[in-house]
Amino acid sequence: MTRFSKETVEHLGRLCRIALSEEQKESICHDLKKILAYMDLLSEVDTDGVKPCTTIAEAITQAPLRDDTVGEMLQRDVFLKNAPQQFAGLVRVPEVMKSGE
Amino acid sequence: MHTLSARDLREKFASGALKAQEIIDFFLTRIHTHDPKLNAFLAVYDDKARKKAEELDKKRAQGKPLGRLAGVPIAIKDIINIKDEITTCGSKFLTNFKAPFSATIIELLEQEDAILLGKTNMDEFAMGSSTETSAFKKSNNPWNLKCSPGGSSGGSAVAVAARLAPIAFGTDTGGSVRQPASLCGIVGMKPTYGRLSRYGLVALSSSFDCPSPFATNVKDIALIQEITGKYCEKDSNSIPKPADEILNGLSSSLQGVRVGIPYAFINDLEPEYRTSFDRSIELMKERGASVVDVDLSILKYCLATYYVLMTAEASTNLARFDGVRYGVRSEQAKTLDEVYDLSRQEGFGNEVKRRILLGTFVLSSGYQDAYYKKAQKVRRLIMEKYAEAFKICDVIATPTSPFAAFEIGSIKDPLQMYLADIYTIGNNLAGLPGISVPADFTHTGLPIGLQLTGPQLSEPKLLSIAYAFEEASQVSNHIPPGF
Repeated sequence: MTRFSKETVEHLGRLCRIALSEEQKESICHDLKKILAYMDLLSEVDTDGVKPCTTIAEAITQAPLRDDTVGEMLQRDVFLKNAPQQFAGLVRVPEVMKSGE
Repeated sequence: MHTLSARDLREKFASGALKAQEIIDFFLTRIHTHDPKLNAFLAVYDDKARKKAEELDKKRAQGKPLGRLAGVPIAIKDIINIKDEITTCGSKFLTNFKAPFSATIIELLEQEDAILLGKTNMDEFAMGSSTETSAFKKSNNPWNLKCSPGGSSGGSAVAVAARLAPIAFGTDTGGSVRQPASLCGIVGMKPTYGRLSRYGLVALSSSFDCPSPFATNVKDIALIQEITGKYCEKDSNSIPKPADEILNGLSSSLQGVRVGIPYAFINDLEPEYRTSFDRSIELMKERGASVVDVDLSILKYCLATYYVLMTAEASTNLARFDGVRYGVRSEQAKTLDEVYDLSRQEGFGNEVKRRILLGTFVLSSGYQDAYYKKAQKVRRLIMEKYAEAFKICDVIATPTSPFAAFEIGSIKDPLQMYLADIYTIGNNLAGLPGISVPADFTHTGLPIGLQLTGPQLSEPKLLSIAYAFEEASQVSNHIPPGF
């Protein structure tokens, strides 16, 4: 059984970039422990020599990639309509590094 | 007018018996009358729909050829993009997001002159089985307003069940169209994975998502499948096949049809639902079907497999919601890191956070082999077991849902909510088409659906079998009292 604790939830929160509140960490820890315990069922299945499934309609299509050619593109002005902040045709975000560094 | 099928509406419009503007006036009035107590819609396109109806009336007056959905109003789950309209995915994160392009299925519907009515409510980012996790409102089941319509495509199911639209689109990732169809007493079909294009859908779990229609009858589903079930070069998993002809091949007979039933797997059903299921099977036998027991004991592992793979894919797909390029950026964010961390904290609801964290966990270093890779192997075994079953049967029958509509707020345990999809998830894991057809009612008057599953690309045969069952059960097209 995997050791799953509040520290695990904190680690996961950092990995997936969500600033969880203390209360959320507690409640998610409680819920995920239960769900993961249920998922231990999978260890019952003998999967020796079984190839992982990565393409769904495998017998029908191998999901080919397209050629690397320029096609229809989203135009910049259309794209920027949804940007929370923009400047000079670019998406604007707060400083990545403090000035002077 | 609300009792007419989509095909009948189109006929009446094309023949001149009804004007498109009359049709739209009628349905918009119905929506504004009934939706306050149903909460099916997040957005209603009054002006856009009226404008389209006016154009269609002109088109007909000029004798121009009319599309197969001319005059038919259609509601769309708010996870499917319509150019220049807001797509919220039921989330605070996207309250201000305007789609820069339309999904392929929207373009296909519009090419056939369908009239888009608006966007319907859903569980946030399609994560849920009750439409309770929507950031905006809870949708109510027209058969009992205290009850959930199911989810995640609950709003679309309510719209069709209450006859606010003859057709609606949802998405089915783990049962999110079939389960609400069952709980709302209408028809809902998930196609073969890759048969309908995912281009223009907001992705939840890319190897599971299928745009899927709701209708009041099987023939209308067949019509939609003929129009939207074809190759799309913008979806790399799109099946390279043109559309099937289905309507011409529908039969009322089940002579020669072998129905496979995984009896061991449905053993836990409560007596009322088991009796109802057995009755549905008897009806099929009366039309000539034979029944065979199939070994699908592996379905015991479906839920666990699904929640590993689906959450892994969802956590990856939802990483794009970072507050940078679109969506609601946190006003508290002073650094770039805070743009990510706070926008996501403020924008996502609890269920979404739970699943993103679970998905992150099963993909994380040290656990990927035990969970993610293991689940991918089990997924292959599940596909193989279904393929073995289809060697001795043409279609697999199960109930769609282990229970009828439940009271909103009554299921608080996430795991218990996940169990609502126990019979539908197998189809998404194996990429199989599945359809839920109204079969019966509980003693309290709540709908019960029968689910029929076929091999990949078997939609023509599957729909024919569903049509024959629909004729036999005589339950389709019952309208909730008061609507």
